[in-house]
Amino acid sequence: MRKIPLLRQILTQGIFLLVSVLILIPIWGTIRLAFDGALIGRPTQFSFLPKEFSFAPFLKVLDKPYQSVQFEVLLKNSLIVSFGAAALALVLGASLAYAFARFRFPGQKTGLFILLLAALLPPIAFATPLYIILSLLKVRTTLFGLIIVYAAFAMPFAIWNLRAAFQAVPKEVEEAAYLDGAGHFKSFLLINLPIALPAISVTALIAFLMGYTEFAIGWLFVDKADNVTLSMATYALVYGQFSGAQPWSDLGALAIIMSVPVIVIFIIFQRTLMERMLFQET
Amino acid sequence: MTRFKTPLYILAIAFVVFAGWMVRARAVSMLSIDFDEDDYLRASQEYAHLIRTSDWSGFLETNYRPEHPPLAKIVMGLSLLSTPEEALTPDAATTAGPNSHLPRALLTPARTINAIFGTLTVFLLAIFDPLAGLLLATHTFTIKYVSQVMLEALPALTSLVTVLAYVQSKKGKARTNWLVASAVFLGLTAASKYLYCLVAVAILIDWFWDEKQKGNLRPFYTQALLWGIFSILVFFATDPYLWPAPIERLKESVLYHAGYSTGASEVKNADYPIWQPFVWVTMSPTQWHPGVFLVAPDFFITLFAIFGIRHLWKKQRVFAFWLAIAFLFLLVWPTKWPQYILMLTVPLSFSASQGIRQVWLNGMEWWKDRKSREKIKYNPRETRQAIPWLIPGLIAFTLLTLLPFIFQLAVSVTDFNRLSIRDGFQGGIWREFLGGITGQIAAIQPEFPFDSNKVQFTGLASYGPVFDFITGSGVLVFNIIWASVSIALQTTLGLGLALLLHQKGVRFGKFWQAIFILPWAIPELIGALLWLNIFVPDVGFLALAAQKYGAGFPFNFLIGWERTPNLWFFVLLIPAIWYGFPLIMLASSAGLKMIPTDVFEAAAIDGATIWETFRYITLPLLMPLLLPALIIRAIFAFNQFYLLWAFQYWKQQSSTLALLSYNLFNPSGPFNGQFSASAIVNIITVIILIGFVALFNRETRSKEELKNA
Repeated sequence: MRKIPLLRQILTQGIFLLVSVLILIPIWGTIRLAFDGALIGRPTQFSFLPKEFSFAPFLKVLDKPYQSVQFEVLLKNSLIVSFGAAALALVLGASLAYAFARFRFPGQKTGLFILLLAALLPPIAFATPLYIILSLLKVRTTLFGLIIVYAAFAMPFAIWNLRAAFQAVPKEVEEAAYLDGAGHFKSFLLINLPIALPAISVTALIAFLMGYTEFAIGWLFVDKADNVTLSMATYALVYGQFSGAQPWSDLGALAIIMSVPVIVIFIIFQRTLMERMLFQET
Repeated sequence: MTRFKTPLYILAIAFVVFAGWMVRARAVSMLSIDFDEDDYLRASQEYAHLIRTSDWSGFLETNYRPEHPPLAKIVMGLSLLSTPEEALTPDAATTAGPNSHLPRALLTPARTINAIFGTLTVFLLAIFDPLAGLLLATHTFTIKYVSQVMLEALPALTSLVTVLAYVQSKKGKARTNWLVASAVFLGLTAASKYLYCLVAVAILIDWFWDEKQKGNLRPFYTQALLWGIFSILVFFATDPYLWPAPIERLKESVLYHAGYSTGASEVKNADYPIWQPFVWVTMSPTQWHPGVFLVAPDFFITLFAIFGIRHLWKKQRVFAFWLAIAFLFLLVWPTKWPQYILMLTVPLSFSASQGIRQVWLNGMEWWKDRKSREKIKYNPRETRQAIPWLIPGLIAFTLLTLLPFIFQLAVSVTDFNRLSIRDGFQGGIWREFLGGITGQIAAIQPEFPFDSNKVQFTGLASYGPVFDFITGSGVLVFNIIWASVSIALQTTLGLGLALLLHQKGVRFGKFWQAIFILPWAIPELIGALLWLNIFVPDVGFLALAAQKYGAGFPFNFLIGWERTPNLWFFVLLIPAIWYGFPLIMLASSAGLKMIPTDVFEAAAIDGATIWETFRYITLPLLMPLLLPALIIRAIFAFNQFYLLWAFQYWKQQSSTLALLSYNLFNPSGPFNGQFSASAIVNIITVIILIGFVALFNRETRSKEELKNA
């Protein structure tokens, strides 16, 4: 194939520019709010640039973004819940994933189907029964309760993807280990886990992000301000903002603080994240 | 018709006609009085009076509600001749509500004559296809509108005759006679209600298609022209109101509809979304007329009609055209009254009968082949080895995922709600569930919304009302349309950009790609917030910009989006596409890299244009690779929750099943914690997703085969 002619090059670049503008408009709108130090409540006039460039909103939300809860507490809650849920989902799911990847047994096909179905159900479908069960256990409003809930969301997805990761480990390597006298457990620990580690970490990352960005169901469960996660607080600010109680720049700043790390992760791992999120076999 | 001889066949038709007549007769006496019945009753009374007094010239000047031609009204007038003359039904504006004081003595004969036409339609369709006849006989919307004093029954019948006569003409024997017959009935259809003349378009397209394949279009033009002129003559002959001033009165009545659809206040107030006709064909008017209909198969008829459309196309193309054109028209036409769907319930039933047949045949084949399918041999040793790995994971999976779901099933057969939460927590759910399924506790049928403070076993009694709710309120249709439109637009944008990026020698490709994936990398909550800042009514950037730039601002049409369902849909689609297309772009890019470049080179040598290369090479090679990804994204679009949740702070126009389930469940939400209804919605979601996942598995398998080949 030859290189494309100049006219087509220009046309292509034009389309790219147009699409980029459409993508960036809402992002710019919020960045503009976040750096506007002159904003008291909502913006009352349309303008492309902040009236008074300032970091004040960032400093404010890094102190006490939501009610009287400190930013560190929110971040800590978020990290506990998301790490806890991801770890729980992966550790509990790993053996099942290995069984599905390495052995053939009756009911395997049906099991896989159920697994995939569970991974694709909307979270709310698990949340409602868990709400009742966790209320019964009196842990519904605690961070531990949230860990359980988010682990339940992430587990089918984690199992499905761990299975794909284990399957990608060449069988020959494992068989060599058997010949050397290793059992299944030993070869799982020493061969499969290390080889599949990159794929496993990406799965863990997604499971982590599920908890990190979830908020609606969190609000259904938690009613104490101390147990609120960062994304839940962000959403509380959304209501606060549009009912007029909260300056719009606060929320803009918090949104940026919350999403920048995620964006960096996505740009670095885009290809693998894409494959995992689309349930592709590797 | 050799099949006519089979007694079984005759018996089937007799049964269908009998059933159709019985449910219509029941509806005639039981249906409450509806909008417009007073108008058409008054019109019929006027005609009955003219006939009684032999005032034949009066026909030239009489046509109450002149926007509709008089034939159906005249025929209803004939039915009133045997009744004593009563005072004329008072004139009322089109905005008026139903007149519930209509005299039964007049209502019953007028409704009955319509029901007879309705039954005749069933009979004709049953001769053609008994199963389709049965479906039409039980279709509740059809029953409703052919058993009321409406104008639908007669044109629905004559339009079917028009098509059937045309189909007969294609068989070659006595072709001219059948064509004349179809033209006559088309004319009668036009003289009853214009809308039903859409069948003529279907016939003409089908006719054109046939002749084009034969290669000579000249006879088509002359014959079709004659056919059309003849039907117009019949139309004029049977519409006496037109005789004194044909052009003027015809223009007036046709223009009325154009004005009505865009100007009438009741059309504006109803403010149905574009896709409302789909809602009509998936729901049953059981809530409007409780106790009238014995069965409500409308949803399933439409479902099977979707399965059957391909076979309908193969078997009776003209019916497929009929269905498609009528749907297209209803989508485009701004007036969306439910009675309009009667112009397509005949081909819909026919398609559904094809669908049922296909499902049945496929099922039989699958059952017959069960032995020849190879059984996977499981190695008992391997199974034993798997057990220690399976057990810990299974316990965790069961506790966290399966158990909640079983719990959900238990909740769905009770009336568990926020008020009975205390009893539920003290074991009430299991008490009622176990007692209910073992038959120790009798099922009760409480009214929705449930408000008992003790959990009670309801059996499957709440499934029906909840299903009626999600079809009748349009949530299900909205959800399906939302997912399809969203995924289609995401794919267009994502695939388009991937193709552009894939061109050789594109500058700054990496840079652009990094920008394009930004929306995907932003958490959905933040993405929704970004767009909320723009679209929030009155105070968002959109409103501010409109203030600043005034009338020249090109996006002024979006102001007030939260108040109309169509704009609301459009505005919510923007963030959905913005958020969803990058993943499809990445998947397409990955897929494009797997296509060997030499096929493109070969195409270039053969002189293929860009479009040809895309249509015949790129797309067929890429689609199998991309389809599984698209299905997954369609599922996510179907389950879209956070975006709609964030936007529902303003007026909620519709929602996905996932959001509905959340709102039903939320103890401090709009439904006050209807836990069992929410559980049923979740179960319905699971059933729908099973279909999706089966599709995904099939496509993944074919993708693997392709990769290995």
